[in-house]
Amino acid sequence: MQQTMTRFVDKVRLRNTFPFWLILPTIIVLLVVQVYPAIYTVWLSLQEREPSGWVFVGLENFVRLFNTSLFSESIGHTAIYLAGYTSLTMVLGFFVALLLHQVTRFSAIYITFLFIPWIIADIIVGMVFRLLVFPDYGLLSGILQNPAFFPPDGLSVLTAAPSPPWFGDFPFPPAPALIYLILASTWRALPFITLLLLAAMQTVPLEVIESSRIDGANGWQVIRHIMIPLMLPTMVVALFSLTLNGMNGIGMVFSLTGDGPGTSTEVLSYMLYSIGWSQLRFGRAAALALMIAVVNWLLISGTLRITRVNN
Amino acid sequence: MLSFLSRKSGNQVLMNLALILITLFAMLPIATTVLISFKQQEDITRKPPNFFPCDTATQAFDWNACRWAVEGYERVIDPEASPSSLLGFTLTGNMIRIYLPNTLLYATATSLIVVLLAGLSGYAFSRYRFRGHGALMTAILAITGVPLLTNLLALYQVSIDLRKSSIPFYDDRMFIIVVYIGFFLPLSVWIAKGFFDAIPRELEEAALIDGCGPLGALMRITMPLALPGMTAVFLLTFVNVWNEFIAGYLLIATNDFKPAMFGLYDFLGQNIINLQVIAAACIIIAMPMVILFLFARQSFFRAMTEGAVKG
Repeated sequence: MQQTMTRFVDKVRLRNTFPFWLILPTIIVLLVVQVYPAIYTVWLSLQEREPSGWVFVGLENFVRLFNTSLFSESIGHTAIYLAGYTSLTMVLGFFVALLLHQVTRFSAIYITFLFIPWIIADIIVGMVFRLLVFPDYGLLSGILQNPAFFPPDGLSVLTAAPSPPWFGDFPFPPAPALIYLILASTWRALPFITLLLLAAMQTVPLEVIESSRIDGANGWQVIRHIMIPLMLPTMVVALFSLTLNGMNGIGMVFSLTGDGPGTSTEVLSYMLYSIGWSQLRFGRAAALALMIAVVNWLLISGTLRITRVNN
Repeated sequence: MLSFLSRKSGNQVLMNLALILITLFAMLPIATTVLISFKQQEDITRKPPNFFPCDTATQAFDWNACRWAVEGYERVIDPEASPSSLLGFTLTGNMIRIYLPNTLLYATATSLIVVLLAGLSGYAFSRYRFRGHGALMTAILAITGVPLLTNLLALYQVSIDLRKSSIPFYDDRMFIIVVYIGFFLPLSVWIAKGFFDAIPRELEEAALIDGCGPLGALMRITMPLALPGMTAVFLLTFVNVWNEFIAGYLLIATNDFKPAMFGLYDFLGQNIINLQVIAAACIIIAMPMVILFLFARQSFFRAMTEGAVKG
């Protein structure tokens, strides 16, 4: 009886078009706001704006983009920014998650307070960090600009020029402003990553840990050989998500450094804005947007593959 | 929770101490911003900067001599005496008069529509197996990861074209709301599906067999049970729209329609050294979200654990 009922319900479910009507509005919205603009961007990347209107220029936009010296410099900044911000966030996030996993009480209170940075908009976070090191008047500037601590002239984070690059054109070592941008981004991204890693940590079965303890493994060995391998899929997802956000985040650059001093904090996302809306070269900006989109897609499909395997 | 690294209570104290320090450190930028917002101009522009505006000629710190001020807030909200209004004054600052109401409108409208659309399609994905089920879900999951940045150029061109065409009742507000819906819907569909998966389907099946239509079963049985989940989707979308900067900045041409994050960025340009004004504006905009989070944190965490692994 039970079986026939389920079969009846399944039949109803398979035959009618009801679910399609439920999903249809979502599909329309996504086609209009996500798919159409993506196709439009491909078209745009092959065009150049002339007084008469759009003119087809083929791959000219890509060639011109590659020939801009700022482009390779900007890739360098982005690479340094992403490397610093993702590794710092992952290491700190793992450490804080481990502490939260270990404490027997109050962890809900810590999580609540630690999570507040996540709820604050990136552009506000940029301003807050800017206030701290504002030249001469910021509260940290009193210490940082003191020549006794940072000889010879003290360190003005937002205005100090980067030191001459060590490896040809690659902008390393980065300007203090870029390092500060990494710190501010880490501050904001840390809560989310901590919670993600904590959730993964809690799924590591206690029996496995217990038995390895009995076998004589110490705390570090448990982390290295049991927890990290079991948490690896989540860690990779976290890393991809961080990279994706870092690659496309722009609000903090706007409010914290405004790509300065000079162009020393110009990352690709900001370059997209400045080519598009300051220089009004939309074709070239679309070419850059496509390149960023390709990296995004690699990260997204990697994430999909990992979550698929896991489910 | 069992602590595996060590079972000594002394380590519990140490770990709690470490967490308290980390929490305090994470709160530091927020605390200093609050501090700055209550200073007066003379205490902002002095060298070297001092943490508390409480120094006197003889003492470095005297609690009774503190010069706390609210001029930063006054300049943001700009109250003006007006005998006709209820309280005897009106708030004439652009932030309060224009930008914040706009943000409130965008966030509310977007979240309501997203809850409706995500509820419908999340329900369909959770309850029905139809042709293209898996492919559609993967497509939506992939779009979840696509950031706003790369689509902005095309959306900007579309916004120009739409503005030129004379569609009745059309303005930038409709455009930005549709864009926000398109960008925050995919993640919400996934979160909603997860919530529906957790509701036993036997309840609806009973209703279906008793003669209730599929829409009736959805509205009378499932929706009330899904209410906490839908609240979580609403809150998450609300915060995301509230905190969004770049689309609101670029896609809205009329000043009267611009959102609070634009107003804030505008303040940065106008108040180069009035740090207390910037700090006060940051706090006025961020405070509602922080309060919302503190009161509804269970909702936020629920939505995040549902959506985290996917987005």
